[in-house]
Amino acid sequence: MKIIRKSKGAVEETVRILRKGRLVIYPTETVYGIGAEATNPEAIKKLTRYKNRPFGKPYSIAVADQKMAEDYVELNQTARDLYKQFLPGPVTIVSTGKHKVAPGIESETGTLGIRIPAYKLVINIVKTLGKPITATSANASYQKRPYKTSDVLDNISQKQKQLIDLIIDAGELPHNEPSTVIDTTLDDPVVLRQGEIKLKDKNEVLSRSEENTQNIAKELFQRYEEYLGKRPIVFALEGPMGAGKTVYVKGLAKAMGIKETVISPTFNLLLTYDQLAHFDTWRMQNEKELETLGFIKMLEDKNLVIAIEWAERVADLIKKYRDQAIIVWVKIVYGKKENERLISWGTL
Amino acid sequence: MRILAIDTSCDETAVAVTEDTKVLSNVVWSQASLHAKFGGVMPSLAQRMHEERIDWVIDKAIKNSGLPGGRAKLKIKNVDAIAVTIGPGLAITLGVGIAKAKELAKKYNKPLVAVNHLEGHILSPFAETELKISYPCLGLAVSGGNTLLLKINRIGKYETLAQTVDDALGEALDKAARMLGLGYPGGAILEKFARSTNSGQAQKNPYSLPIPIIGHEERKIFTYSGLKTAMYRLVESEKPLTKEKIQNLAACFQNAAFTHLVRVISFVLNHKSYSIKHLLVGGGVSANNELRKRLRKLGKEFEINILFPYTKKLCSDNAAMIGIAAYFKTQREEFVDPEKIDRIPNAKI
Repeated sequence: MKIIRKSKGAVEETVRILRKGRLVIYPTETVYGIGAEATNPEAIKKLTRYKNRPFGKPYSIAVADQKMAEDYVELNQTARDLYKQFLPGPVTIVSTGKHKVAPGIESETGTLGIRIPAYKLVINIVKTLGKPITATSANASYQKRPYKTSDVLDNISQKQKQLIDLIIDAGELPHNEPSTVIDTTLDDPVVLRQGEIKLKDKNEVLSRSEENTQNIAKELFQRYEEYLGKRPIVFALEGPMGAGKTVYVKGLAKAMGIKETVISPTFNLLLTYDQLAHFDTWRMQNEKELETLGFIKMLEDKNLVIAIEWAERVADLIKKYRDQAIIVWVKIVYGKKENERLISWGTL
Repeated sequence: MRILAIDTSCDETAVAVTEDTKVLSNVVWSQASLHAKFGGVMPSLAQRMHEERIDWVIDKAIKNSGLPGGRAKLKIKNVDAIAVTIGPGLAITLGVGIAKAKELAKKYNKPLVAVNHLEGHILSPFAETELKISYPCLGLAVSGGNTLLLKINRIGKYETLAQTVDDALGEALDKAARMLGLGYPGGAILEKFARSTNSGQAQKNPYSLPIPIIGHEERKIFTYSGLKTAMYRLVESEKPLTKEKIQNLAACFQNAAFTHLVRVISFVLNHKSYSIKHLLVGGGVSANNELRKRLRKLGKEFEINILFPYTKKLCSDNAAMIGIAAYFKTQREEFVDPEKIDRIPNAKI
């Protein structure tokens, strides 16, 4: 292991080591990072050994600029806006990867975190190398945050030390927080794109208050209630943020005689109350997740009522079951006045 | 009392080893720890399947617990009890942690403790701290899934004073961030934007949002759905967004959200018939500095000590807090039969 100062020639020396598939500890605007050439599978294996963590746990990578980032990830509008706002800087932005890095860098679902450090040395290394390097902190997993090289060296084994070929020592770094991670993939059109929804019949009514919306939910439930026992009923709810999807489900629950307070299932993904299962797909990445949570199995229960918020995200999956269940598609949109909502519905 | 604690209530696979209220190790496998300290969760199918990583996380927690000060390496057979979260949370993921805890309890013949995730958040300020608390005191959990204010008659005896009726506070902050195009989870970024307005020019925020149920705090609920709707309309009317607009909108939303929270707590404090000296605060949003500032101010006003976890690592979901809650349960000898333990996805405290 060689230790060099942050001086002339440091960039060239680092690049030379990285090209050989070796590991380098380098300073950034947050903590000391450990770099391996991100397209070299051997280098990444070595890094995983050093970090002492299982294969399959992803690493983010440092690139020189947005143009270089676009060689490795697909940037959607949210990502572009965030790049403009925060990069270079201490923020890691996760996008859908293009699978051009070594195995083990992207997450299990093919997403990849990108950093553009506000630290000239790193940018110069990446530029000269022409390839991204890993941007993970230099500590072994779950050890102290490394603000100086001794934070790293005092907490690793001899074996780990032997895996490091070079350290660029810039002294003690200002104690800035590690980078903040933002995931932009939930806004990917790929996730959201679903086939067109064709309803057999269409009805529309204006709601003027939350109470109105709850009453509409009650009426709709009563209209389809007779099917219970023969088939489950799915209320597929579509509508923008804050339109009142959870308010609708509150009304539905009351109609079903449920006394518990219905709350938003966004965080939990699924909340159940007696014969009501309440899903929220807002945080789901694909429709497969709805299956994992037991949606299809639930359809075997002919007495069950299922409400799904953000149903348009899983429309294709829901459509497949239109013979097995009564599917009522409910769309809530903002009206002209503040409390007005246009509620339309029909069966699939 | 050494406890191996497991929490798989939602996105994170978390395992910790605690000794009484000391944290010997605290390992969380999440998107957050993959890339950085906080940030959050990536709701992918594979990542919710805690099964394939729980063994590794347990192993890591056990190994790490032996490190400082040359303490002899701990083994599972040397812990005194196994603790696990039984709810609230997502049924399928809770099941993974419970199955593992059950397996370990049987294999090593250890007593098993079932813990409520919310009790973990509420008791997290006890970690690594000698707390002299006078009871009753209050507990506040503010996270992605819950906003909950409790009266703590003593540890283990709780009365709900106010709770979420629609969106939890953490969820509301994440959704506001998403409306502003800040990705997910955006609570932490929202805070950064909001902060940058305060330190910059002293001009007044040009936006205002309605404070939820203002003047009707006697309803003792936490509600954020109406505020979310108002925010949506405001953001839509302000598009295209500039950096300055985003900063002001972020600050405006945080202000309305926190004002509501503090007003409900104030109402409770003004109308109680008992004396309160302490408020314990836990949950992911308790890492927010603006919220801390406001709660401390409230504390001054009512002469109450506001207690947060000793590190922000214990704010977001973790298993160290489960170990601490379990420790108090073992003191009361509240164990559970491994054959009878079951998940309670809608668990109340």
